[in-house]
Amino acid sequence: MPSVTTLLTLSINGQDHVFEAEGRTTLLDALREQLHLTGTKKGCDQGQCGACTVHLDGERVLSCLTLACQAEGRAVTTIEGLAGPDGALHAVQTAFLEEDAFQCGFCTPGQIMSAVACIREGHAGSEAEIREYMAGNLCRCGAYPHIVAAVRRAAEGLA
Amino acid sequence: MTPLDPTPRRGDAGDGLGARLPRIDGRAKVRGAASYALDHPVEGVAHAVIVQSTIPAGRVRTIDTRAASAAPGVLLVLTPDSTPPLRAASTWTGEAPTQPEYRPLEHTIRYTGQQIAAVVAETLEQATEAAALLRVAYDREPAVAGMDDPAAGEGNPLPPLAIERGDAALAFAGAPVRLTAEYRTPREYQMPIEPHGLIARWEGDALTIWEHSQWLDGMARTYAEWFGIPFEKVRLISPYIGGGFGSKALALAHGALAALAARQLGRPVKLALTRPQTFTAFGGRAATRQVLELGATAEGRLLAIRQRGCNETSVDGVWIEPLSSVTALMYDLPNFSSQQHLVPVNTVLPFAKRAPGENPSAFGLECAMDELAYAVGVDPLALRLRNHAERDPQSGKPWSTRRLREAFAAGAEAFGWARRRMAPGSLREGRLLIGWGMAAGTYPVRRSPGEAMVRVLADGTVEVASSTSDMGTGAYTILAQTAAAVFSVPLAQVRVRLGDSSLPRAPVTGGSQMAGLMTGAVDKAARAAREELIGLALTDPRSPLRGVANTLAVEHGHLVPPRGEAPPLPIGALLTALGRDRIEALRDTLSENGLTPEDRYRAFTTVSSMRPPTDGDYSMHSWCAHFVEVAVDEALRSIRLRRIVTAFDAGRLYNPKLAESQIKGGIIMGIGQALLEGGMIDPRQARVLNNNLADYLLPTNADVPSIEVISVGEPDPHASALGGKGVGELGIVGVAPAIANAVFHATGKRVRELPITMADLV
Repeated sequence: MPSVTTLLTLSINGQDHVFEAEGRTTLLDALREQLHLTGTKKGCDQGQCGACTVHLDGERVLSCLTLACQAEGRAVTTIEGLAGPDGALHAVQTAFLEEDAFQCGFCTPGQIMSAVACIREGHAGSEAEIREYMAGNLCRCGAYPHIVAAVRRAAEGLA
Repeated sequence: MTPLDPTPRRGDAGDGLGARLPRIDGRAKVRGAASYALDHPVEGVAHAVIVQSTIPAGRVRTIDTRAASAAPGVLLVLTPDSTPPLRAASTWTGEAPTQPEYRPLEHTIRYTGQQIAAVVAETLEQATEAAALLRVAYDREPAVAGMDDPAAGEGNPLPPLAIERGDAALAFAGAPVRLTAEYRTPREYQMPIEPHGLIARWEGDALTIWEHSQWLDGMARTYAEWFGIPFEKVRLISPYIGGGFGSKALALAHGALAALAARQLGRPVKLALTRPQTFTAFGGRAATRQVLELGATAEGRLLAIRQRGCNETSVDGVWIEPLSSVTALMYDLPNFSSQQHLVPVNTVLPFAKRAPGENPSAFGLECAMDELAYAVGVDPLALRLRNHAERDPQSGKPWSTRRLREAFAAGAEAFGWARRRMAPGSLREGRLLIGWGMAAGTYPVRRSPGEAMVRVLADGTVEVASSTSDMGTGAYTILAQTAAAVFSVPLAQVRVRLGDSSLPRAPVTGGSQMAGLMTGAVDKAARAAREELIGLALTDPRSPLRGVANTLAVEHGHLVPPRGEAPPLPIGALLTALGRDRIEALRDTLSENGLTPEDRYRAFTTVSSMRPPTDGDYSMHSWCAHFVEVAVDEALRSIRLRRIVTAFDAGRLYNPKLAESQIKGGIIMGIGQALLEGGMIDPRQARVLNNNLADYLLPTNADVPSIEVISVGEPDPHASALGGKGVGELGIVGVAPAIANAVFHATGKRVRELPITMADLV
């Protein structure tokens, strides 16, 4: 079967990107390998770890289980698009720094994208709720208690 | 100041060692700007995919590559038939190779999941598709699936691990209280969230590798030896590592293949293992079992322990998971006998996972101590205090520092242990059975030399450089703090470069030794640079401070005459006056470790110069005590953790904020070990059945309760130059037995095999 590519236009972090991709190319691989937006991480490529979490029209999705072509016509937000145009960190990014909510940092972009959505969804009301709604993002360094503290702090700041 | 305020603060010693500061690499990490191995943009890169064997033992008869080779975009197919051998490399322990050649792809199959082929294509999708088109024919032979396979036998004795202290058999036979139990731990996997992978690029005979590394110099040596090029021709780059836990210390077979493919194609190659492949591309923790016989007085004083244990190894290699490492030294124990066998099975060679040896050792011992507590009717904490070892019973040497009693006291106080009622099942909340359990842990102080460059620039900033690495430990931050303290400058004025083999040398970031040895090396280099600055300031004709005093202090980034003979001079202003753009000092700590400059290469590229904890006049270890509360649903038998308090003695903490994070991380990995993690091995195919993150369960946020950690350490002048002891591996040791003991307290059910699941409590 020959590889068939089509021209895709994706709106990522408010900017249009036009590139050739195969139908089978995932949004994650398109971001990382073709658009060099490597802040989004591949931890399992099976939808099990959450490291590749991005937003599609403001909702969190796993970019390893999303085809690039499925993102056409939708607003993609990645970790690179979270800070303000002046470089000012998003409240969740600031809270992660202050609470030491990471060690190696590899799961962190996914955790932060998940946390932003978790707060937006209204699921950051208590520590127990945050633990449940952040349970899809694995952190092998074990920063969970600090992630919970960071989400709480950010949620309070954004409220 | 808020943690995020970068404003330099003159003279605030708060940026030195001991300060609770946020990590200086944090801003890059929260922005997605930290560049991990596979994030590096490399022009013209091709993508490689590995294929692993589907049989556990036998031979690859043929691999039909026709369909794969004809698939779109395919550039190269590597099989055992088509792959030229490399030169064999010496081992990480420094032993010369026993054979002249190394073949990253072999016909002989020794375990399911051994790599047998690789496909390189223009895109990842093309390589993945073509890899699925390989047709492999095998000649299968019988395999041993694991140490419980009847074909495994008893394994091979390991005489160097045997310990005979006193007469354990006699003392056990005569002991008023005797206990015998078997404890088992399964295969466990490191599973950092960054899967293994690399980018390899050749320029002439120079090889650049972007690969996560816990040991830049050791891995660069292996690549150099494989390809027969000088060490200096290999450059390994690893500024950020997405977790390691022991799994990223060595160059591995897939790394050899990527470099080989890149050389053959004349273009860079990126190779990423899939998550399932990471279960067999390198070794996790070996499965273990041990029988412990405890003899004690009626009051619970230990008289003897006899330990008979074994761990799995591969059919072609030796991995030792030393089961006596905690048993031999934790308690005042006059009679101790330990023997350990290695059982070869058809698995990838096991390797280091956080606290190899100490971890399963403590699981057996600390569960057995709880059993003894119940056998003699003594509170588990009181029993441990009753058996407190005043000196190392194995080496006979005094402890350098051992604040285990203080850890017990602080942990018990914070937890409320004194309110515990001894009887199992005595705490209930509705349908929840509540259990309180505790256990102790320890990890040795290991020491190797380090090397660092410290450079002072004309703008007053300070640079620190070394090839050591930061996989989340906080190395960037504590090494910046070390230099900031020497020059009395704010942290924002210090830049740290790590994770590049072209920088000054460093040994493995393992054995929890990095912080102790590297702060020592940076401190030494920084002091040398400071002395040179002071000398130039006092003697150089162009210096405004020439001859004003006999010495100068360095305070707040200024050279300060001691009695106000002249105004303080900014360091940068001195360099400008001297017409210099920098002062730099390169220093190593070889001599402090009994080594000479001739030992330099070997000392940093092998572990041959790592000093054990009893080398010298003292026995040196970190210590901890865990207190946990579990809730077991009476009907469902589900186990939930409710809270954990851990008090620990890791000596001086260079940055308590980051050290506490690491201790908590160890505890959480211990939760996984206790309740979730274990490789499930298919007895027919010797295959890891749960080779993905939905079936091999890691702790999630929802599994983790509130955790309080308390440092009771004090500086240990024997353990390291600046007083710290190991942190990274300490936290996990003792967590699993504390949880198992809490489950017993809740339910009355003693579970001696990990992980503890609902099924064990039915």
